[in-house]
Amino acid sequence: MSTTPDDTAQRIYTPNVLHNNVLTTIKFFSSCFAGAAAGILGLQNWLGFALFIASTLLTAFVIYVVNCKGRPTKFVAGGLWELVNPGQENAFSFVLLWTLFFGIVHVYD
Amino acid sequence: MSSNAVSLYLDPQIRDWVLFPITLVMILVGILRHYVVILLQSQPKKLSRAAIREQRALVRAQILRATSAKSPIPPTYYKSISQHLSKAFNDGTYLKDGPPEGDAPSKPPNPLTDPAAMDGMMSGMKTQMVMMVPQMIIMGWINFFFQGFVLIKLPFPLTLGFKSMLQRGIETPDMDVRWVSSLSWYFLNFFGLNGLYRLILGGENAADASRDMASPFAAASAAPQAPGQAQDYNKLFKTERDNLEFAEGLYSWVGNDVEDRVLRRYGKLP
Repeated sequence: MSTTPDDTAQRIYTPNVLHNNVLTTIKFFSSCFAGAAAGILGLQNWLGFALFIASTLLTAFVIYVVNCKGRPTKFVAGGLWELVNPGQENAFSFVLLWTLFFGIVHVYD
Repeated sequence: MSSNAVSLYLDPQIRDWVLFPITLVMILVGILRHYVVILLQSQPKKLSRAAIREQRALVRAQILRATSAKSPIPPTYYKSISQHLSKAFNDGTYLKDGPPEGDAPSKPPNPLTDPAAMDGMMSGMKTQMVMMVPQMIIMGWINFFFQGFVLIKLPFPLTLGFKSMLQRGIETPDMDVRWVSSLSWYFLNFFGLNGLYRLILGGENAADASRDMASPFAAASAAPQAPGQAQDYNKLFKTERDNLEFAEGLYSWVGNDVEDRVLRRYGKLP
């Protein structure tokens, strides 16, 4: 299929692209819950970040299989990377919630 | 639960009276900022019908040109719209003040004296002020009230360089950098709450702190261009006419030999 970037840009249906915002919301929730889990479990240092990466990959995998049915480019304009990339905001949210729950559960008595 | 060599015992009241209040205050101030910015934004100046027609004519030409290489419009329609717009631009029928008479050069309004452009610049600056002031106030509040004690332990390690920033007010040269003061909790919240704001206030919220740190001057410079009233539409129309001719050269219809393509797909043609 030899479609230039111009052609594919012409064929993108805008209301659907706007609906893809739910993807961002899902990523935010998954990083929040991962942060809470990491804090409650008492994970420190690299283990916590490993949990973040694992949860991001798991979320991306589930969306890939269930929603995109194995064809992410058909549903998401950015392809696979847009599915997996949590973004800077969600990384900071993870760290915030991780610190919060770690403090509540393990530091305070 | 593993206990390392120095495990401090913190009063639970610190958690109740410092940790949660700081987070709550920051969330509420963020929401407040968002609504204040919305209230402060002045109404966009209503343009007269002629002025709007002027702008829309330009947009029509641009939309037509944008997809000219694989145009969804059949040739007759495309050519007729293109030529009609071309002629209109040439004669100046869409201009706000009517076709230009003789050779009087039209001057774009001076941005400093034109009141509409001033409004645009003022609203940009007002937004910046509203963003910055609450951050300063909260930092001052935290530094005044919540100073001099350890608040929380970070679950991840940091270098010694951060010690001076994160343990401000606690004079212990040997303590692990992971035990931090309230100001660092402020910073964590500052960065981490953007996701929450996006959830509560929608994508284009004015409470997003990192956004106005990244582009303080881009926003101020973008504001004056939004009204677009300092532009000379006569010249723009002339350039647009040239662009239209260029696009007409590039034009081809998507359905050009569609019958051959369909037959070929179903195997009726080699």
